Order: sequence, then C-alpha cells, then structure tokens
Amino acid sequence: MSMPPDLESHVAGPRPMRQLFSGIDSTYFDGDTPVPQTVTLMVDHAAQVLEIGLPGSAVAGVCWSLDEIRQLEDTAGQEGVILRWMGDPLARLHLADPYILQHMPHLKRGAPPKGRGRLAAWAFAAVAGVAFQIGVLVPLLADRLAEFIPPAGERALGEATFGQIRQALAGTGLPPLPICENQDGLAVLEEMLVGLEAERGTDAAIKVFVLDHEMINAFALPGGYVVFFRGMIDAAQSPNEIAAVLAHEVGHVENRDPTRHALRSAGSIGILGLLLGDFAGGAVVLFLTEQLISANYAQSAESGADEFAFAALEAADVTPAALGDIFERLRDKVGDTDGVMSHFVSHPTLTSRINRARSAARADAAYGDIVSDESWSALKRVCD
Amino acid sequence: MDVWFVGGRSALFWLALKSGFWTVLTLGFYRFWMKTRLRRWYWSSIRPGGHPLEYVGDPWEKLLGFFIAVVILTFYIGIVNLALMFVSFSVFQSSFIGYFSSFLGVIPIWFYAQYRARRYVLGRTRWRGVRFGLEKGAWGYAWRALLHWVITICTLGLLWPRMTFYLEKYKTDRTYFGSATLMQGGRWTMLYRATGPFALAVGLAALLVFWLVWLEPLVPQGAKSFEEVVGGFEADIDLMFDILDWQRPFRLFLILPVLLMMIYGAVHYRFASKRILANHKHSAGVQLNSSLNALRVSMIYVLGTTIAYAILVVGIMAIAGVAFALMGSEALVQSQLGTSDPLGDLPRWLSIGVLAALYLSVFLFWGVLHHAFVTYPLMRHMALTLSLLNVAGLAQVSQRARDEFAEAEGFAEALDLGAAI
Repeated sequence: MSMPPDLESHVAGPRPMRQLFSGIDSTYFDGDTPVPQTVTLMVDHAAQVLEIGLPGSAVAGVCWSLDEIRQLEDTAGQEGVILRWMGDPLARLHLADPYILQHMPHLKRGAPPKGRGRLAAWAFAAVAGVAFQIGVLVPLLADRLAEFIPPAGERALGEATFGQIRQALAGTGLPPLPICENQDGLAVLEEMLVGLEAERGTDAAIKVFVLDHEMINAFALPGGYVVFFRGMIDAAQSPNEIAAVLAHEVGHVENRDPTRHALRSAGSIGILGLLLGDFAGGAVVLFLTEQLISANYAQSAESGADEFAFAALEAADVTPAALGDIFERLRDKVGDTDGVMSHFVSHPTLTSRINRARSAARADAAYGDIVSDESWSALKRVCD
Repeated sequence: MDVWFVGGRSALFWLALKSGFWTVLTLGFYRFWMKTRLRRWYWSSIRPGGHPLEYVGDPWEKLLGFFIAVVILTFYIGIVNLALMFVSFSVFQSSFIGYFSSFLGVIPIWFYAQYRARRYVLGRTRWRGVRFGLEKGAWGYAWRALLHWVITICTLGLLWPRMTFYLEKYKTDRTYFGSATLMQGGRWTMLYRATGPFALAVGLAALLVFWLVWLEPLVPQGAKSFEEVVGGFEADIDLMFDILDWQRPFRLFLILPVLLMMIYGAVHYRFASKRILANHKHSAGVQLNSSLNALRVSMIYVLGTTIAYAILVVGIMAIAGVAFALMGSEALVQSQLGTSDPLGDLPRWLSIGVLAALYLSVFLFWGVLHHAFVTYPLMRHMALTLSLLNVAGLAQVSQRARDEFAEAEGFAEALDLGAAI
C-alpha cells in the first residue's frame, strides 16, 4: 500500500492535525444518483471526522464523524471495504486503501434492533394465537362438529386413520402391520360384544380388530373401530379383563371421543406443519399418530368411558373389578419395562381408577365369566 | 458494462456452515440471520461495473414478518382445514377431497406470498447507493397467475410460454431502479424458441407410447392374466442376446432416456426463457443483455447435486464408522437385528434429543453443500453472463423512497417458498 503523501507524518513530534490518505480507486456514492464520484480522503484528528472531498462534483465534500462510520458485513471478495455513515444511511464510500481504517474505532459495532416492543408483541401474539387455536378453538369446533358428522363419514375417517396407524407402526416402505385373522379368536370377541350388549349389525356397529404387535395397548377410532394389540391379550389373565377393556373402549366410541380427537388432529396438524417447516413435518405426523394411539383423552372422557364400562359389565354379569385388575396388571408389568407407551399407564390417576373399579363391584354378588374357558384359549390364539 | 462475480467458494462454504450451525443450535431461529448473511454475501459478490449490489434486509424484520404470518396463517390453516375435513368426511366419505381443496385454497396465498417476497427482496437491494423496488400488486399477481394456470392446463401446456411471458412482464413492468422503471419488451411467442428440447422429448415420448401400446403391443392381446404376462417376459429374458429384436420388452428401457430428455427440456425452457426475457428488458437509456447457457446450467445442477450428495454420503458413512469403532461391532449388529436399543439406557428425552440433533445436522450439511456446489455456481454463471449494453440512462436516475414492509417475507417463509436463497 502506498504511504500517505503527508510529509508531516515523517517528522517526529506531535500528531498532525490533518492527515491525507490515498483516494485512488476509491469511490463515493451520494445515495441519490448511481454515478461513482472520485474522492480525496482526509482525517481531521482534532474534529474526529473523515473529510471526503468530491473534486468532480458541485458539492465540495462531506464530513463523516469517525466514530459513526461502520463497515458493511459479510462482504465477498478480498479487496476493498464498503463504509457507511450513520448520519446518512444511503451514502456509501467504496474504499480501496484499508490503511485509513485504523482511525475508525467502531467499524464493527452493531446497531440495536429497532422496534423491540412491536416484535415482542407479535411474538406474544403468535404464541398465544397458536396456543389458543390448538388449546381452545380447534377442540371446541371439533367437539361441536363431531355431533354432526354422519355415521358413514365417521366410518371413513376411522378407516383412514386405522390405515395410517398400521402404516406408521410398520415403518416406511414396509407393508402395513398385519391384522390377526384367526376366525375362532375373532368369534370370541364377537361373543363378548354380544354379551356386553354393544350395538350389532347396524351402521354404527362396533368393529373389533387385533393387530399383531407386542405393545400392551388398545384404542378406539371414529366409526366404531376398537383395536387391540396382541400384547394386551397376552398380558390379560382372564377373559373378563379383555371384556372390561373392550367395554371401556366401546364407552369411548359411544361418547364419540375418537371422532373429536381425529377432528382435532386434522386441525392441529396443519398448524404444527406450518410452524416447523417441511423437514420436521414428517416427525409431526409420527408424533400425532402416537398421540392418537396413546390417546390422552381428557380426564372426564376417561372416567366417562370407565362408568360406561362398569354399567355394561354389570349388565353382562361380569365384575367391574376386572377393569381394575387389568389396570393393575399393566401398571406392574409396564412399570419395569421402560419406554412402552400406554394410555392406561401414563395416566396419573391410575390408582384412583383401580380403586373406583373395585368399589363399583357389589361385594356380596357372585359374578360369572364373560365367555367359557375354551373360548378364552381360542382368543389367546387369535394371532396364530 | 459487464457484471463481475468476486466471491470464493470456500468463503461461502464457511459462512454457510457457521450460520447453519447457529441455526441448528437455536432450533431454527437463527435462520433469519443465516438468510440475511448469505444474501449479503451473494449480493456483494455480484458487481455490475465493478460496484457490488448491497443487501440491506434486516433479520429482525424477517423474524417479525414470520410472527405476523404465523398469526394470520394459523387461523386460516387450522380452522379451514378442520372445516374442510369435516365436510369431506361428512359428504364424500373420504379425506382426499378435503386434502385437495385445502391444497387448492393455499395456491392463491402461495402466489401472493411469492410476489410479496420478491417485493421485499428488491426493496432491500441497492446498487451504487440507489434502491431497487417493486410496486404493490400481490393480489393482482395472484389472480393473474391463477388464470394463466387455468388457461395453461386447459390447453395442455401449449400456452405455457404465454403464461411465462405475461407473469414475468407483470413483475418486470413494476420493477424500479431508483426513479427508473424497467420494461419487458418482446412478444410471448418468442418464448417458443426455448421449448425446442422439451417439445422434442414429448414427441419422442408420444412415439414410444404409440409403439409400445399399439404398433407392437408389449402386452399381447391374448394374454389373460398377470402371471401370463410376467411369464412371457421371463421367456424373453432368456434370450438376452436379442436386445436388438424390436419386439422384446427391453424396449421398456427406452423410457429412461426419454424421461431424462424431458427433464433436460424443462430445465432448458426455464433458463432459455429467462435469457430471452432478459434480452428484451430495458429501461430509459439502459438495455439488459444475457448470454445464459441452459446446457451449462443443467450441468451445474447435475454435477453440483451429485458432488453435494456424494460428500454427504461419505460424511454419514464416516459418522457411522466412528460410531462402529466406539460402540464395537456387536452393538451395531444387535441394533440392526433389533435385539438391543443402543439409546435404550439413556432417558427418553435425551435419546430423542440426540436423534433430532443428528437429523438436523444432516439437513444443515446438505444445505451448506447445496449452497457451495449448486447455488454458488448458478449465481456466478447468471451474473457473469449478464451485461448492460447501454448505460447512458443511469445518470438520469435518482433515489426512490424506502418501501416500509412490516411482514417482510413472512408468508413465503411460513409456506416454505423462500428456499432459493
């Protein structure tokens, strides 16, 4: 780089008041016309300003206060820097000789963000808006609409959701999780439904499926779909426990809990996809599928289904305590195998539900079994 | 006046890596800063007449714009989706109608967001201290775009160049540099020149289909069942040396080159039409000239994507190799067989965290490589092939007022449109 043509700088003694720098190849833009202007550059140490002379222009020049000069960031290329002055946000100095930069103390100082209050207000509005949608508006609307959806529509919704769940559990690219098809075993489930006096042979009839998967769980879907995992049947010690779970899920169906749930997730899925962007979208779908299975219904929905089950079991001459038995079995079993998700287990008030089931049984009554021992062993082989 | 391009690939790579790292670390919030910084860098690389473009967009205003878009769009998407699903299941007993109309409903917003994003970017671009700008008119653009799409679909794509031309003209005629307006000259029929390779590919595809289905049917009329057809194929495969026998199912492999030609044709049309349109853009006393090479652009896409993908795969293999060395072969085999869960000992939230971090890192690295090997050479080629033939009009230009823009490109960001840079 060329030395400044200022002879005084070579003389020992006090610092020169005004120091000249090379303006060759440097250009000034006044922020009004896109015409490059040649410059002369001088630093006035006393006044702490950069004097930019504009020999080719009608204006004599401009003065930039040294501590208000900033350098443009993230600029490509090795040569030259671009300077701006806070006093005139449009003017630019394209500087070829970086020698002068040492006199500008705050080249890289950032500006505080403007309008913080407004930003905070909108951020709050965005979070509150999403929370209000997912927490209040969508559930409210879903609950209202669930009353009006016709049975055929409900069944289609359930069928679609069932397909999605089977696919999600099997994994991408694999055939969907198989359904157990042993006719004797399925006939036993049918027998239980008849025993529980569930609706048969109509549009709104309950349809029971068993999925070949070791998860200890069961869930209900819109349109009367009740789905057991094989793990649940393996874990049960008596047919009454399965009948109790069945009655509980039928209770959800009767109260239209799954339809509400499915409509809610239809509303929420778009919102979450919007927030998380495209690549996280797949994870969201998976998450919502898990939500559907583990079906964290509201506490009132759970106790509503429990009450329904107690009444249905009582009417079928089966002890309501069976529901408490299977809950307890699940709690003991799943308590030491970490990671298995089950809505029975994850529910915080499980113990109180067990107690409620036990007290729903009349102490003096002699209850029977829902099906015979032979039927029970047939059900155990439903996936063979 | 030529356009220079000065930035180096390694500088861009480090900038993208550094800002991408922060993006992952901040769960995506830094992406507004990342986008701003990368744009600053690209813009300052492009130097018409040796003077760089300047990007003055602010990450904070992008963040604000994103919040505004979220507030407005959540209500639209949440409630409308729910209602559509309800109607779809109640009336049609299927989810398809619901998804389809939900998709249709987003299209106008999509065009709207596209125009608004362009307006924002142009409004925050300066050259030689003078602002660019785009007039208001996003809804006008949205309904015109919808209409053009309907016409294009109804004419089986024959009027596609008409759509390209008029949509570009709508945008160009509303573009300003300071006080000077840009104008799109020419006629829409001139874009038919760019359709050559695609038309050829479509013609070949039609011939191939005609040949396979009617002239020498691949599936003989007599074949009754699927098994018979497959059996017929197997008998043919025994005669491997008869590839030149034109009645064999090997003809099916001809679909591949025809498909590749169609893809090339589409890329060719996109960039050749850009070139033709640029050559007909002018302002008072300024004329644009482009010598964009569509073949070169295709090579950039093919080579760039291949290189980026190869590096990504090697990187993932290296990570897997390190994991293999650390955990030992047994753990890996067991995890493959599903007999053990390598993350099983960790708490659930931690293992999810580790997996999420890995997942995001792969995306980050892919983004960085894409910048270095696709976006960078593409921008460079587009810049270097552009020039201004006549610049006498520049002296007459003066500054224009700032385009205040509350929601920045929030809608495009929320709808994942602004992915280009």
